[in-house]
Amino acid sequence: MDFENIMKRIAPPSNRPVRVKPMNQSAIVIRLTLLSLVILTIIGFFTYDDTDVGMLEGITATFTNFKVMFTEPHFNHFTFMEGLYQVLVTISLALLTTVIGAVISLMLGLLAAKNLSTPKISNSIKNFVAVVRAVPTVLWVLIFAIAAGLGSVAAVIGMTFHSVGYLIKAYSESFEELDDGVIEVLKASGANWWQIVWQAVIPSSMTYIISWTFLRFEINFSVAVAMGAAAGAGGIGYDLFMASSFYLDLRELGTITFYILVFAILLEIVAIRIKRHINIT
Amino acid sequence: MALLELFNLSKRYDQHTIALSDINISVNKGEFIAVIGPSGAGKSTLLRCINRMIEPTNGEVTFDGVDLLHVKRKELRRLRTKIGMIFQHYHLVNRLTVIENVLHGRLGYKSSVVGALGIYTKKEKEQAIQLLRMLGLADQMYKRSDKLSGGQKQRVGIARALIQDPKMLLCDEPIASLDPNASKIIMDYLQKISQSLGITVIVNLHQVDVALQYSDRIIGVSQGQIVYDGTPTDITQEQIHQIYGSDFDDLMVEMNKEKHYAG
Ligand SMILES: Nc1ncnc2c1ncn2[C@@H]1O[C@H](COP(=O)(O)OP(=O)(O)O)[C@@H](O)[C@H]1O
Ligand SMILES: [Mg+2]
Repeated sequence: MDFENIMKRIAPPSNRPVRVKPMNQSAIVIRLTLLSLVILTIIGFFTYDDTDVGMLEGITATFTNFKVMFTEPHFNHFTFMEGLYQVLVTISLALLTTVIGAVISLMLGLLAAKNLSTPKISNSIKNFVAVVRAVPTVLWVLIFAIAAGLGSVAAVIGMTFHSVGYLIKAYSESFEELDDGVIEVLKASGANWWQIVWQAVIPSSMTYIISWTFLRFEINFSVAVAMGAAAGAGGIGYDLFMASSFYLDLRELGTITFYILVFAILLEIVAIRIKRHINIT
Repeated sequence: MALLELFNLSKRYDQHTIALSDINISVNKGEFIAVIGPSGAGKSTLLRCINRMIEPTNGEVTFDGVDLLHVKRKELRRLRTKIGMIFQHYHLVNRLTVIENVLHGRLGYKSSVVGALGIYTKKEKEQAIQLLRMLGLADQMYKRSDKLSGGQKQRVGIARALIQDPKMLLCDEPIASLDPNASKIIMDYLQKISQSLGITVIVNLHQVDVALQYSDRIIGVSQGQIVYDGTPTDITQEQIHQIYGSDFDDLMVEMNKEKHYAG
């Protein structure tokens, strides 16, 4: 059939819908799930118990609080320099756990990569790490707190633990992306495992290693804030906890939020800079 | 004495796939050998059994007077430095520069730490530069290797193999991804290397015309067996037909097409 004929066939509109996606079992399950979620949401709206709180009042009160927080921040229980110091404590916690985690993960990531290891070792590390990742960071910190007591030690161990789980997966997957032929060529020329790793695998994965590590650092920063509040790990998170549930000081809460916001933005800028730099070279 | 001898070499991957059976070849220093045969005949397996990148199931491999199949890891590593390998897809480390990729050919001579840190002697660096000049890549030396064309990448692959100071080059379809022009350049270099440096070259090819044009000796492989071993001038149409089996007609069409473009 020539091209013109095909085009003509497409042209006339028909009443029957033409299905592009196959209607199989998984598609049906997904649709049913979505449908039941919609129904539950609608039922939810109708069954709200809002006798004590007016919807409108609630929303306005929340906005008033936001307004107080962000337009009238003040220093009450700590000075500007003390606040800065506390943020640095939080950042240090994030940095420490990321660096220790990255070093451990680099080594174990090599052993977890299928192309650099034996199937047995690779699979056992990957399975173990999947379990580690399945449990949230905060929970790991609390688990380690049983032995170390609530505080910075448990936070460091727990956060490192989860970082390792995360980074091993990220690193080993980027190692596995290396062209198998490169490993074959170097092996055939007499190079050994360590030489192949440092001369071919790591240079090829450097971009990934850096961006995954930085991403984990950002995650660890927010986790470190939460750890200060929930696990007594100190830093700005602790001030956040005190201001919100002890002093009930909305304005100071605003100050702390600004601190965290400024540093989060700074981290983001640095991350973008680094990524741009490694993409060029 | 022969540089390389294969005696009753066999490779069986699993119950059903016998990739090589009873291969006997004796290769002299400086020979330029083309291994031809249809896809799946066992050409790649043959090359890799020579340096034990694939462990043969049976038989003997003697290289430079040493029984390769019974040496320890360390000795195997030393012997592998004397055998360069070149592949269809070049396999360079993309993020590194051309000269860094060439220097990788020296890793086999170094201790783990010195090699891992990428420390090379002045002499090695000078040699890399000379090789790149010889292969017409003097201007590309400090470029990232993924910025090169296919033909240039293959020349980097050749430089990386030559800096090993090899006695033999094993080339697995080195021109299969290249256009006719770049293919000719690569084949000319391989020929020059064999003739002027006395390095033995064994090259897998699926282009019969190229094999006939360049080699001193043709080895025809079909279904894991050697069905022809002799000079390119003695080979007959029937023998080529026998090597390629039913693929033969496609092959002739392809060759005629190429001639048509060339003319
Ligand atoms: N790793 C492997 N596992 C199982 N069978 C293989 C493997 N590699 C190659 N083979 C089989 O061995 C035979 C020879 O393959 P190969 O040496 O790659 O041939 P060629 O290079 O001539 O195309 C083919 O039938 C192929 O399917
Ligand atoms: Mg092949």
